[in-house]
Amino acid sequence: MEFVSPEGLRLDGRRPMEMRQIRAEIGAVSRADGSAVFEMGNTKVIAAVYGPREVQNRSQQINDQALVRCEYSMANFSTGDRMRKPKGDSPARCPMFLEASTTIPTILGREGDFKAINRDISGHSPDHGSMHIDAPNASFSGTRSACINAATLALADAGIPMRDLVTSCSAGYLNSTALLDLNYVEDSAGGPDVTVGILPKSDKVTLLQMDAKLPMDTFENVMQLAIEGCKAVATYIREVLLENTKQLEYRRGV
Amino acid sequence: MSSTNTSSDLSSEMEVDAFRRLFPLRFHERHLLESIRPDARPLGKARDTSLALGAVASAHGSALAKIGCTTMLAAIKMEVMTPTTESPDEGCIVIDFHMPPICSPIVRPGRPAEAAPVVSKQLSDTILSSGMIDLKELSLVSGKAAWMAYLDIYCLDADGALFDAALLSAVAAFSHLEIPVVSLNDDGRVVVVSEEDAGKLEKEAVNKEKRKLKLSTISFSLTCILHKNYILADPTAEEESIMETLMTVVLDSSFQLVSLYKPGGPVLACTSAIQDCVALTRQRVKELQKILNEAISDMEVD
Repeated sequence: MEFVSPEGLRLDGRRPMEMRQIRAEIGAVSRADGSAVFEMGNTKVIAAVYGPREVQNRSQQINDQALVRCEYSMANFSTGDRMRKPKGDSPARCPMFLEASTTIPTILGREGDFKAINRDISGHSPDHGSMHIDAPNASFSGTRSACINAATLALADAGIPMRDLVTSCSAGYLNSTALLDLNYVEDSAGGPDVTVGILPKSDKVTLLQMDAKLPMDTFENVMQLAIEGCKAVATYIREVLLENTKQLEYRRGV
Repeated sequence: MSSTNTSSDLSSEMEVDAFRRLFPLRFHERHLLESIRPDARPLGKARDTSLALGAVASAHGSALAKIGCTTMLAAIKMEVMTPTTESPDEGCIVIDFHMPPICSPIVRPGRPAEAAPVVSKQLSDTILSSGMIDLKELSLVSGKAAWMAYLDIYCLDADGALFDAALLSAVAAFSHLEIPVVSLNDDGRVVVVSEEDAGKLEKEAVNKEKRKLKLSTISFSLTCILHKNYILADPTAEEESIMETLMTVVLDSSFQLVSLYKPGGPVLACTSAIQDCVALTRQRVKELQKILNEAISDMEVD
């Protein structure tokens, strides 16, 4: 199947280096301490942060650090065929959940950041918040990226100190062209799919995932493209956060 | 020095927010004495309601309903299945209500919310028993193929009156539902025809065009809180947690009673209280009908 036409247009009319339209909104869930809605094309993700709380599982408690617990779920109607829950399914078994729950906490904050908060709260080490990500409208591709971006925004909205934002974007290689930000159809094509998560200010890569085979030099190109995409997302997220802060200042009469 | 004396002394010095957290019941009762609630609503008035149809593009019918801050997303997906032998002419509807952890700080991951299965069962009973949808309309080929409609409702923000918002979003999603076109493929099985193939059908389509479901009557509901001799319509989550006696009344579009639900609670309701609730619900049904009709006509304009 042809994913890139001879004129250089993709199936949805984009150029190979063009990202889908991004849209972000802060404070969508009124009862959450921090929340955000992040859309990448047709993929829509809602993230909400609640905390700080007592650590539920004593064995997981770390005495001088806070814990970020992450849960990811997809709505039944979000993909092409309605997803049916297999019997005896626990959320932990879903591979997406495992990825999301390990990458997101480890990429945000290290001991230094949370220690300061711990000292103020003292006593038990608080569960620094459960982060819940709900993907009501998701295509598989870019779900990971959209979730990470939504999570960053939600944590920023909750006021949790972070060393840097984390943004993520995916890129692939089809019809001998590197393509940025794959949509559902392109992702299901079975070609390589590289997802990158970076800390834009320090220019460091925290998440790198790829499946399918790719020669080394092509891989470098594709990864570079994905990193550019991440930086674009970071610029947009910063704008959104800045606008939000201005609104808050304005409302307080500063 | 009695405890009430101390608290009333404290209350004159305390900040409003602190008083609200420490003595929530007294905070609310102070408002009720003036026939008003903390968000400035009169006792019988519901919060601002809005409806958006077609929120989920990939589903066959969907709606996003917001009552105040309570947000519900409902989506319907249709699949073809073989009907049971007892009712070969009827399709089937499966209703599922989910409360993911993002909706409320009370819902913890790994532990489903207590309210979720209760609302789910209530919704299921109300929608199926109200006769809103004639299951015979969901039949395709008698005895061989019929539609199975999966209705999934997700609570995105839980701020009280969950059942009302869920029912509203379910009803709106059914109003928006368009049954897809199907045809018989070579194996004699019914197959959903996608948009691109519709033009080049070789086999005759079983149903010619996308049609909307005919809803015989639409049900709307209102949840009220009974507290002493006050009746508060459309409670927020804060009010629900303090004053625990809830009553939900469901009326259909001809103002007939479909369902009445009062799950215990410290306050016992006398007949006049129940009648007052029904009267409040009647007013609310008129408001909701208008909102639903506006949402539908907005969709049709597009």
